[in-house]
Amino acid sequence: MSWFLRGIRSGIRTEPLSPDAPVLAGVTPGFPRETRFESVADARDNETRCPTGAIRADGEVARVKRDRCIHCMRCATPDGSAKMEWTVDHEWAHGGEGSGSLPAAFRRSLHVRVIDAGDCGACLNEIGHLDDPFYNAHRFGIFVTPTPRQADVLLIVGPVTQQMQAALKVAYEAMPGPRRVVAVGACAVDGGLFGPSVMCGSGAADVVPVDVFVPGCPPPPLAILHALRAVCGQEPLER
Amino acid sequence: MTGALWTYLAVFAICAVGTAMAFFVPAKRAAESIAWAGGGAALVAFAAGAQGLAAPESLVSLWSLPTFGPMALGTTHLAALFTCIAALVYFPVSVYTAGYLRRYEDRYSLPAFAAWYYVTLAAVMAVFIARDVVSFFIAWEIVAIATAALVAYEWREKANARAAYVMLAMSEAGTLAALLAMLLVLSREHSLLFVQGVAFGPSGGVRWAVFLLSFFGFGVKAGLMPLNSWLPRAHPVAPGNVSALLSSVVLNLGVYGILLVNLELAPVSSVSFGTVALIVGAISALAGILYATINDDLKTMLAYSSVENIGIAVAAMGAGLVFIALHETALAAIGLAAGLYHLLNHSAYKGLLFLGASTVQAQTGQRSIDRLGGLMRLLPVTSFCFFIGALSISGIPPFNGFASEWLALESLLRSAELAPPWLRVVFSLSGAAIALTAALAITCFVKAFGMTFLGHSRLHPKQPITEAPRSMLFGMYVLVAACALLGLLPTFVLAAIDGALAPVLGGSWVQHTLVPAFFGARLPADQLPPAFLTTFHALGAQLGYGIVPGRGLVVMLRGGSANPVVFAMSSTYLAATLLLFLGAAYLGRRVLARSRRRTAPSWAGGLSSIPPTMTYTGTGFSNPVRVIFNAVFLPARTDERKTIHEHFRDAIRRAREDVFVADRVVARPAIAAATWLAHLLARMHHGRLPAYVAYALAALLIVLAISLSR
Repeated sequence: MSWFLRGIRSGIRTEPLSPDAPVLAGVTPGFPRETRFESVADARDNETRCPTGAIRADGEVARVKRDRCIHCMRCATPDGSAKMEWTVDHEWAHGGEGSGSLPAAFRRSLHVRVIDAGDCGACLNEIGHLDDPFYNAHRFGIFVTPTPRQADVLLIVGPVTQQMQAALKVAYEAMPGPRRVVAVGACAVDGGLFGPSVMCGSGAADVVPVDVFVPGCPPPPLAILHALRAVCGQEPLER
Repeated sequence: MTGALWTYLAVFAICAVGTAMAFFVPAKRAAESIAWAGGGAALVAFAAGAQGLAAPESLVSLWSLPTFGPMALGTTHLAALFTCIAALVYFPVSVYTAGYLRRYEDRYSLPAFAAWYYVTLAAVMAVFIARDVVSFFIAWEIVAIATAALVAYEWREKANARAAYVMLAMSEAGTLAALLAMLLVLSREHSLLFVQGVAFGPSGGVRWAVFLLSFFGFGVKAGLMPLNSWLPRAHPVAPGNVSALLSSVVLNLGVYGILLVNLELAPVSSVSFGTVALIVGAISALAGILYATINDDLKTMLAYSSVENIGIAVAAMGAGLVFIALHETALAAIGLAAGLYHLLNHSAYKGLLFLGASTVQAQTGQRSIDRLGGLMRLLPVTSFCFFIGALSISGIPPFNGFASEWLALESLLRSAELAPPWLRVVFSLSGAAIALTAALAITCFVKAFGMTFLGHSRLHPKQPITEAPRSMLFGMYVLVAACALLGLLPTFVLAAIDGALAPVLGGSWVQHTLVPAFFGARLPADQLPPAFLTTFHALGAQLGYGIVPGRGLVVMLRGGSANPVVFAMSSTYLAATLLLFLGAAYLGRRVLARSRRRTAPSWAGGLSSIPPTMTYTGTGFSNPVRVIFNAVFLPARTDERKTIHEHFRDAIRRAREDVFVADRVVARPAIAAATWLAHLLARMHHGRLPAYVAYALAALLIVLAISLSR
């Protein structure tokens, strides 16, 4: 009985996905935004400060390539005044070469197989939060399944190490159609800090066709949830 | 002497010739000779049964021997039906034997097998034509001894000899009880010849004694709960063809005995008897299928499943006996017909399944379902035959198990027409138990077929596994055909069963109530209402009349004017519909879904391939049943602790033993009580001579006192 009373007492903790959601502290680290500086030097300064090459100076404008960003905040906390502007939204997913969202039948029922292809643990940790009461992916009809035979979506984390390439291919082959592949995290999107190198390629797209990319290091649960909702057609997906 | 009896004598003659042949042909040909002579004898026996069913019942007094009294042979329609059932199984089993016995060639004597085999066949036939107590029980005993000898054929194995001994001991105890019951009946007529229709009071103590002694005495042979401890022991160890005979022929003998006493010699007069039969049947069915589902041994599983099927048949017959006592002859006919139909079907499909399982054992050397698997690729024909058997036993239309199980359930549902409320409760609960049994049977045989023939092979054979020789396959084909025909033409089978029941029920009630004249325009006045018929003819009920002329292909019970049809079923039309649907589904798949098909390797959890040890086992498949019915199984759990290293926790090896409920509840306490009594009596045997003399004197005095007091 106590679990029941405790549940009543604690009330609803699930994040309602309101427009305020992304600004909640700690929910998302955010990304730098394309910023116009007063001088070319400031933009160039930010480009050199970025360790992953996510910022590229184009005259006075510092453009941002989100796929590369690892939220190191070096461009947000400079000594001088040349800070990049930051966004705190969570709708980060963008489509790849693939065929967009799944047919309407999958709108309220999506089964996800998560594959750890050399993940450092951060992305897996965020994915683990999808099922907790706060994010509660079940309410959107999104379920994690242990086998690709029942999965509609393959959720890949990690830069796909050489050891995992064959297994990833087999898992993709084992999925029934229609199927989609979501690459989660900077590593899976384009190799991140690790690739391409001797041990891994430049992300999941080397091995299987990726339909949706979710940048971030790691992307917060809301961003992953947004990607999954986009895959099953609950939200629009940017190209 | 009538024609049928001569035909029976021809069976005996062929058996004698066969025995001689087995001893005189070269050892290599001995097995083949069984196929020819045994198969021939079985065909002649089938003719004898058919003749007996067609001709009026006959009786021939043979002679009167000094100690045995008068002896008589005769044919009854009921016995003729049982003869047909036995012959139906004996023919394919005999052919099967030719290929199967080769595995024993160097180790055991083939002529000895042949001799016992023919003796069993002849004695079974003798049981069916014996019309007096002495010859009946002589034949009965010969069957018991000969089957025990066949079970112990591999006598060098300890388990076989033990099983045969248990079987013989239990069979003898049952025979004594049955003999007593028969003598109690016939002593009222002062006759050792069988007399039909001996009348008893409403439900006196003697009638109760007769019923209980005959039901449980013959019930030992039939494998009814709780006196069937021998059954799951003897069936798996016997040679495969003998297992098939045990299940399909010998168990039927027990049911024949029960019907002989309680239907023919002394028809039941009280509803209580039928109710006991119904309850025992339902319990047997449920317990049998539960243990079959969790069992890992292919043949033990089939043995438990025999308990289940005999239970269903006896439950339906029990319902029939209840209706007889209530003078509802039409309903009684349905119950009894359902029971006999199920017996017939059980013989066909259980024979088939045992032959299939034995083929698997013969070709792979393995009987454990958990160690088999993937045999579909290695033994395609055997797999097909086993599959048909599994479909039949699971009651999947249009195969034969469906027709009889459906009829049995329907006969139990007629409880609405019973007066006493407690009887309605018993009928409903038994019906529920049998419905649950039917569902579990599907689980059981999905497991048996799926885990044995589908998936990956878990075997590590020393030599390549090949398909069985043609004689073995032929035996299975015959039974496959029997399963299909018995299921596809229920109205024709019911006509034969009607012939068997007509004398005991006084009229062809089965035909009259269950198989309406659906075809043609020749309808007597009491048949179906014209408007109703017009509707059905418009639906196509006349379909097939040109091919199989008869009364119809629909089994149907008619009610009053309010509901003209109480229940109706036609597995013939069902099969036709099913074929249409299957064809449509196949075409649909070919046409529609072809473009979307993609072939991919099976998912092995990221490994390069699935090791067979990782695949689903039969034990895993049946575990839910094990957990749900834990209260029935009450497994003995043993935890064996073993310290591997002081720094680690103790390793615990958990073992579980499921003891058959009949063993646990009846056999083991009985053995314990007997041992206790023996120990008590052993105290008298202390070796002092004067005391022994005193015992003898005391006994003498008691005898004297008894004889003087009279």
